[in-house]
Amino acid sequence: MNRFKREIMWAALVLIIALTVLSIYGAFIGAERAQAFFNSIPSAVFWALFGLALVAGLIAFRRLIRVPGLLLMHAGCILVLIGGALGSEKGYKAAGNERVREGWMTIYEGQRSNQAKVEKKIPLFNISVDFAGSLDRRIIPESLRQEFTKQQMTLSQKAVAWISQAQRSWVIADEPNQYFIRREGVKLKVYDFVREMKELPFSIKLNDFRMEYYDYEAPYLEIEVTGSQLQRIPAEIGQQLDLGGELGTAKIVRKFERFKMSLEDGKQVAFEDPHGNPMPALEIEITSPAGEVTRRYAFSLMPGFGHSQSGPKLTYVKPTGGMVSDYISELEVIDKDGKVVAKKDIEVNHPLQYAGYRFYQSSYDQEGGRYTVLQVVSDTGVMVVFAGYWAICVGVVWHMWLRHLFKKIGGKTQTHGN
Amino acid sequence: MEIKPTTQGVLIYVTMAVYLQAFIVSLLGRRKVGHALYLIGFVVAAVSWGYRWYHVGHVPLQNLFEVFLFLGMIYPLSLFCRRVLRVGGYTADMMIGVIVLFPAGFVFSARPQQLPPALQSWLFTPHVAVYMMSYILMAKATVQAVCQLIGLNPKPGEDILAPEQATYRMIYAGFPLLTLGLILGSYWGKQAWGDYWAWDPKELWSLVSWLAFLIYFHFRYMFGKKHPNINSVLAILGMVAIIITLLWVNLSKLFPGMHSYA
Ligand code: HEM
Repeated sequence: MNRFKREIMWAALVLIIALTVLSIYGAFIGAERAQAFFNSIPSAVFWALFGLALVAGLIAFRRLIRVPGLLLMHAGCILVLIGGALGSEKGYKAAGNERVREGWMTIYEGQRSNQAKVEKKIPLFNISVDFAGSLDRRIIPESLRQEFTKQQMTLSQKAVAWISQAQRSWVIADEPNQYFIRREGVKLKVYDFVREMKELPFSIKLNDFRMEYYDYEAPYLEIEVTGSQLQRIPAEIGQQLDLGGELGTAKIVRKFERFKMSLEDGKQVAFEDPHGNPMPALEIEITSPAGEVTRRYAFSLMPGFGHSQSGPKLTYVKPTGGMVSDYISELEVIDKDGKVVAKKDIEVNHPLQYAGYRFYQSSYDQEGGRYTVLQVVSDTGVMVVFAGYWAICVGVVWHMWLRHLFKKIGGKTQTHGN
Repeated sequence: MEIKPTTQGVLIYVTMAVYLQAFIVSLLGRRKVGHALYLIGFVVAAVSWGYRWYHVGHVPLQNLFEVFLFLGMIYPLSLFCRRVLRVGGYTADMMIGVIVLFPAGFVFSARPQQLPPALQSWLFTPHVAVYMMSYILMAKATVQAVCQLIGLNPKPGEDILAPEQATYRMIYAGFPLLTLGLILGSYWGKQAWGDYWAWDPKELWSLVSWLAFLIYFHFRYMFGKKHPNINSVLAILGMVAIIITLLWVNLSKLFPGMHSYA
């Protein structure tokens, strides 16, 4: 290896080790900060150096061009870097790319929209004070208020704060402004949090939003009959069971979702309280062979409650609702002339792809299921990254496996593993 | 931790017991008996996987329980490494067989699971299966690297590679799978969340594992066998990164204030 090659190899080794160390650091600071970190200007310089080293390697080492596997792997990495740069926020800015990079659309059933809500964070100022732990609460600390005043931006007493999903950040809403605050070590970074609507060159119509559930075990009543045997009947009014021998029969006569008891004329009366807490219950009548009727209650949330009384043990088993198996939005893409140009029922893992955008099932109207929330992401650079992925995969599999397999089959001696 | 009192469970425990016996007998120098037991263990493991197939009516590679059950059939891979790749560690493989069956026997539920929407993807199984297979190969590489460091060389009559070369060959075999696992995961991320790379800790650790082996390759290319101990240490560091990746969700609880992902 000559000196030039040696230096390139050292550079490659140092860069790969550096990336490893940075990735470990990134794993410790959490996704949100890691994303900001790896998209910062110093990181962009690092990525550029990495790409340059790969290009220099391809130029200096003829084997990297001649050996197909090595070429595919290294060139593939260059493609991933290029694709990543094109798709990054800075890449959009540099290329003057005006497309919606990431946004959200809320669409009601039967309606159409081309409006995507885009969130932007514009850095305002940093505070070098440690607000130890205070980002976990909804109370805005006095010191933060003072800092805002110092910056000639007041926070009114009406301002409310909430913790964003990533835990390490806050959103403060103070009509009409919103601020985004992130903790980085002993610093708080304050951003102007702007939400603006952007228009897509076509619109999306939601025909229907629905959820599908897994089948689940229907609720049932378990009754201990003679000889400590357990038997089940569906938890439906009118269902009955012969308990055998002295015990008579049991019959479900009432079903409650929010069971309550009250005293009326010295008697306990059970009733359904629409404003009460969930307390699913069954009322069971047990008729003895002599015709004597006793009333019993079984509660799914309190199994065993009342078991100590005489008579058979009654257990109300009510599996909590079926798990959601799918969120489905039936979408149509409608172009400027009102023509339907694409159609797809999207679910999680199955986005709609149209004109360089992808639409993902993101959220929905939790109260009535009347609207859906889609995430819109533009695809700039993604295909380049995926081409790189293909190159790396094919290169690695060819170079490390298939090449040797074919050599073996061809009868030549194995050469790897020097 | 749960014990499975079912036919499936019994098959798993029998496989583990036979593998363990094979391991102990081999360590005591009774190679032939060990080999035979290993083969018997494999047959039970194959019956166990076949039983599962019959039971659920589809190729049983759809959840973690089934993937680990599949990995329990390590014998052919072990034989391939021994005979074709001429890599030692045949006895250690029996123990690896016990270790991979442990989660199937005691940790993961055998009940056909109801997958939340995010996991309903054809990518789920290949992503996990490919990763698991690469982990086995990298574990074998680590065994070889440790042999190199402590100077445990094959006996003169044995037709197997010296540990340093064997480490390299195992990493050569495992790296394509590790690469596929990473890339399938990334592609899945694009399908499910709209982004192929989200910089979350689990992703970053899997990148670190991959990079560790890149360091190994480039270092070994530069220096060849001049620093065999450093080569071995780099290979072991790769495995350490893999273990951290696997356990990160649990480990991260050691670091207060950090959020973890599944
Ligand atoms: C940063 C600049 C890089 C340079 C200058 C570089 C250069 C080289 C060179 C000269 C070799 C030896 C090829 C031979 O056997 O003759 C090599 C091997 C290799 N490179 Fe890179 N490389 C770089 C980055 C990468 C990256 C990012 C990857 C990721 C896929 C990669 C993957 C590999 C692999 C897997 C080998 C091992 C092949 C083997 O051992 O047979 N390299 N690289």
